[in-house]
Amino acid sequence: MPYCYYTCNLLPLDLIVQSGYVPRWLGRYLASSPNSGPAEGLVVHPMTCPCVTKFVAAAENVLQDAQGAQDNCLIIPGGCDAMRRLGDLLAAAYPGRVFLLPLPRSSEPRAMRTLANDLRRLGDWLRSHLPEAGAEDAPAQLNSRVCAREDVQVHARGNAEVYFPESCPPVDYPSPPQPGGAFVIAGPLTDNSLLRLVEQCGVPVSAFESCTSPDRWRPLSGRHPLAQYEALAGFLLQTGMCPRRSTAERRAHLERRIMETHASSVIYARQSFCDPGAYDALLAADLASKLGLPFLEIEVDFPFDANGPLRTRVEAFLEAQLLDDELLDDALFDEASSLDNLPLEED
Amino acid sequence: MPGVTDLTGDSLSASLVRAAFLAQTRLKAMQSRTARRYLELHALSASLELFKPGAIVPWVSYLFPTELLTSYGLTPLIPEVAAATLTGSDLREPLEAAAGRLPLARDVCSYHRTALAALEDNLLPAPSMCLGTTPLCLGKECLLEMLALRHGVPFREIQVPLPPDEGEAPAEVVTEVAEQLRGLHEDIGRWTGRKADLRKAIQLSNRASAAWGQVMKERLAGRLELDGRRTFAIVFLGQLLWGTEEGAKDFERLLTERGRRDVVAPQLAPGRKLKRLLWLHTVPHHDGELFDLLRARDAVVIFEEMGQMHLETVDPDDPFPGLARRLTDNVLWGSSTRRARLNVALAKRLKVDGVVHFNHWGCRHGLGSLPVVRAAFQEAGIPFLAIDGDALARGGPQQEKAREAMESFLELI
Repeated sequence: MPYCYYTCNLLPLDLIVQSGYVPRWLGRYLASSPNSGPAEGLVVHPMTCPCVTKFVAAAENVLQDAQGAQDNCLIIPGGCDAMRRLGDLLAAAYPGRVFLLPLPRSSEPRAMRTLANDLRRLGDWLRSHLPEAGAEDAPAQLNSRVCAREDVQVHARGNAEVYFPESCPPVDYPSPPQPGGAFVIAGPLTDNSLLRLVEQCGVPVSAFESCTSPDRWRPLSGRHPLAQYEALAGFLLQTGMCPRRSTAERRAHLERRIMETHASSVIYARQSFCDPGAYDALLAADLASKLGLPFLEIEVDFPFDANGPLRTRVEAFLEAQLLDDELLDDALFDEASSLDNLPLEED
Repeated sequence: MPGVTDLTGDSLSASLVRAAFLAQTRLKAMQSRTARRYLELHALSASLELFKPGAIVPWVSYLFPTELLTSYGLTPLIPEVAAATLTGSDLREPLEAAAGRLPLARDVCSYHRTALAALEDNLLPAPSMCLGTTPLCLGKECLLEMLALRHGVPFREIQVPLPPDEGEAPAEVVTEVAEQLRGLHEDIGRWTGRKADLRKAIQLSNRASAAWGQVMKERLAGRLELDGRRTFAIVFLGQLLWGTEEGAKDFERLLTERGRRDVVAPQLAPGRKLKRLLWLHTVPHHDGELFDLLRARDAVVIFEEMGQMHLETVDPDDPFPGLARRLTDNVLWGSSTRRARLNVALAKRLKVDGVVHFNHWGCRHGLGSLPVVRAAFQEAGIPFLAIDGDALARGGPQQEKAREAMESFLELI
């Protein structure tokens, strides 16, 4: 059974499964890439974000896999220039095995129609690449075969059903989000070490806004009515309110999320050489300032490394918040006011 | 160039400084009577109007069809052009200081970062509207929409699907983009309250396009050899003037020997062969030494990728499909494979000795296509050099390195 790797989870995974593939997020295969350095294989310019740079090596690894069938393929939702160019590079190196899915910035009807057409095109492309292509009932047969695989399980988690847990980014909240905590914004992450770092500092996470957040991948890993491509496109654009999106819509989305979760501070983990991230960080800083929330921007690698100076900066930022909270704590004021009641020394 | 504070405002002194500065530039143009000098004059003259109080200032992306603005008598402010102009002026130092204070990542495109810094420091006028096109990059769309949001002005984006690797964009795609342009043109009229004269703007733009198209045709046929570094500047500044009377006259000046005499390729003494280069992407605007080196080594940029625009006229009675086609089929839009294919074909047609790709700081779409473009030239057996740099930089170790690389490359070819 062929694997369909994907780079960004702005994809309805059910579309991949219904088309006869096992979906796999490419970010899960970084560590196993033998040629993870840029010196071997395809070379990208050093001024490329770490995510795309690592994805090049990982994609080469999975597409060249000696055991893997030539039927394995890769889908690259091209939300930004770097990702689009990654798709170009891999499509040129592996002809016929890479599909670039253009992602619009807005969610207006025209953009939705275009995305719906592209999703339909993607479904056709996937099916046409299968050895069994041409059979009218292929999707249904293949789906049952896929679901029989041991690495495609049906889970139930919360209100949202997760059909393909092994296919999604392995990022989840270490503990349930709590109002009043830090609102964490990030690009793609390979694990939840940033969230754990925040919690280790004694501050809960109020929400995690990222393309690899469970708030994103969980809804997209469920079942969808695939016949209605326009509805599917609308759902994707509504769910994927990421930095590449229209600034106005993104701002409204972030503001709503920050307010809903009663965040006490905002931490922005931005990857270097990321255009949408750079402008989005500026937007988030403006927003935090408007809402009167402390803001920290950190430049992170991919995969995220929660050690070193970066850890110190997060700790210092959060400690300052805790200190402020303690200083402003009512109990402390009560204590202080109680000092007023002390009897004055008589002359 | 005087400081912007001296040039702006409606005071008598500002007005006098403007008049004196323009007179100086006009004198240069009249002395040379070349297209290049006149374009500089007219681009500057039109841009200075944007600084006057109450001016309508449309911030637009580089490929935006500016005829939609000239139809209403508006001059565009193009961040890339503004950033390149300001960093080449006496304002460079305060602008660098402003950019240093900017809380925006330093690894984004320097054109956009600099334009933002200039705006924050009041070196550029605030936008009245921000109008983008999805070609060529996402970064400038992020910038334009962010500015619109901050300044509370309208933002519109013309969404242009990627063209196929082979052949032209389908007719239905062109129609879709044309409809967006039509709607936007109406919106601009509504926002500004001005009366449109798109037909006139298109007729003037067509005069310029016909002239430029003729020049490019002659260059492609090898009958006319111009210095691509200088023609790049013509197209770059020309973006401000499509659809104007001045723009039409200035481009038409290129049709005469006198009008183009300061952009012709160097003529070598008999027995010496000129090394002819194709230049891809933007240029280092303020690195004169790099191009001096080319001349010293008997080399010249014989053609520039980014000059390939406005080569055809559009129908004045139904201009939107023609304007749309310029976007859908722009040579820099589409996949890396398409860009590589078009450029290899161009290099073969021009029989160039080598190709130079300028890796502009922070340009994801340009840098991202580099591996595919490089591989295509290698396969075609055409010498290829990619040099890293910042189009707005002046001096520094990176430019030194670029010159060394260029020197070795010229020896090789």
